[in-house]
Amino acid sequence: MVEAKPQPSPSPESTPFWDGAKAHRLLLPRCNACRRFWFPPSRRCVHCLSADFAWVESAGAGRIYSFVVFHRVYHPGFEQDVPYTVAIVELDEGPRLIANIVGRSPDDVRCDMRVRVVFEERGEQAIPQFEVVR
Amino acid sequence: MISLPKPDAQFRPGRCAIVGAGTSRLGQVPGVSSLDLTIEAIANALADSGLRPADVDGIICRGPDESYAHHQLVGERLGLNVRFSTSLDNGGASQILSVMLAAMAIEAGLATTVVCGYGRDAWSRTHRSEDTRVKQRTRPESQYAQEFGPEYGYFGAVAAHAFGAQRHMHEFGTTREQFAEVAIACREYALKNPDAQMQKPLTLEDYFKARLIVSPFNLFDCSLRSDGAGAVIVTSAERARDLKARPVLIKGFGSFNNLTGWFADDNMIRTAAKESGETAYRMAGVAPSDVSTAQLYDCFTYMVIVQLEDYGFCKKGEGGPFAQSGALRLGGRLPTNTSGGQLSEAHVEGMLQIVEGVRQLQRIYPRERQVKDAEIALISGHGGNQVCHSTLILGRA
Repeated sequence: MVEAKPQPSPSPESTPFWDGAKAHRLLLPRCNACRRFWFPPSRRCVHCLSADFAWVESAGAGRIYSFVVFHRVYHPGFEQDVPYTVAIVELDEGPRLIANIVGRSPDDVRCDMRVRVVFEERGEQAIPQFEVVR
Repeated sequence: MISLPKPDAQFRPGRCAIVGAGTSRLGQVPGVSSLDLTIEAIANALADSGLRPADVDGIICRGPDESYAHHQLVGERLGLNVRFSTSLDNGGASQILSVMLAAMAIEAGLATTVVCGYGRDAWSRTHRSEDTRVKQRTRPESQYAQEFGPEYGYFGAVAAHAFGAQRHMHEFGTTREQFAEVAIACREYALKNPDAQMQKPLTLEDYFKARLIVSPFNLFDCSLRSDGAGAVIVTSAERARDLKARPVLIKGFGSFNNLTGWFADDNMIRTAAKESGETAYRMAGVAPSDVSTAQLYDCFTYMVIVQLEDYGFCKKGEGGPFAQSGALRLGGRLPTNTSGGQLSEAHVEGMLQIVEGVRQLQRIYPRERQVKDAEIALISGHGGNQVCHSTLILGRA
């Protein structure tokens, strides 16, 4: 039997992010005082410490800041996937997220490639992933 | 950019010294706890200094990650009540921090003779059973990320550092041949160190045949799983003069912490070593060109390359070519990790690097392992989710 991949365990601060993902929306906290985004989610703006913020939908576009390719199985849920790519994606809004680069061989992934968000259904949850924009 | 503190707030260099250094058995030491290894190293450091346990009035330690108030356990086993004592929590930056704190406590009159020690049982812990070997976890489960990582199959320190290596390769053209040179240079030193865990030669061909772990890193880019401990004794330079071992002066130190994270800004290719090093150089009154030997925190080969740049031994982006020129070898421009480092001697989170720096400046080694005319050693520590950094500059008395 193939073991399931881990599901995220949302914190109280990140629940809106994961609820948004279920609806295939990439939501980010944005400060109403300084208008800047940050990530991972927390209750105050990391730039100005304002507690006044809103969840704003990202355009879902960005670039690969860096990436690695897992050749070793660290979790049995990924046994069928190795080698697989894990990237640091920098969204155009500024925040950086961890995600897999889907639909492309790890050999053909490079830093600074443009990417856009896609959503992977995983049980009850949907997981933001990224694909390279051709 | 945060400016350096005012010079008049400075610690006075050379007023404290390391007067003893010791290690435990290293490598695969089954059946011995990290605490027992630490006590073994402290006993050896005390013997090296000629001091008795009763002379010690300070203990600064770090325990395994699940341990609470570890210094208390150490003190209990040494049978000591002391003036100054604590345990540190900056990962691989903690061990230099313990020496810094010891010197500050001595300068502040809080203690006269401080033991700094750290030990771990990472090999035994991960090789207890097939299950622990595969899972390779040395920290309690509760400390691992619950989101923004595991659901993407992102786990572990290898990948975190590999991100930095990949970005560095992209920006500066750094190559895997250059990473290989770091691994091979360390292995060459380990072959001259009878205590080192790795005793087999490593060639460029071996390196490229090795299995990939998380690329761009393969097996030889990664430091070892080790059991082992190290300890040093810190006291005033004045007191050091009458002791058995040749003292080594604490000339300068610094730290910097990129607490915004390894993924923020360019922290993974311009590390906290830069600001930490600048602070230490200024305190010591030395420049990179004065350094005889470097003991750089080599949890992964790439970390040596980026630190060579951040410490100013070469320009930003030129760490790869600098290493490839043979600079790290004995007789090279900057003999580095001369015990074999964490890649080939044993990985005790930077504690053994301090011990090696001391011994090189005492010039106790046979010629094939001794840095000629060693006067100044720069030692680095890095850890705490890759963002905490500390620097120690030692000088021959």
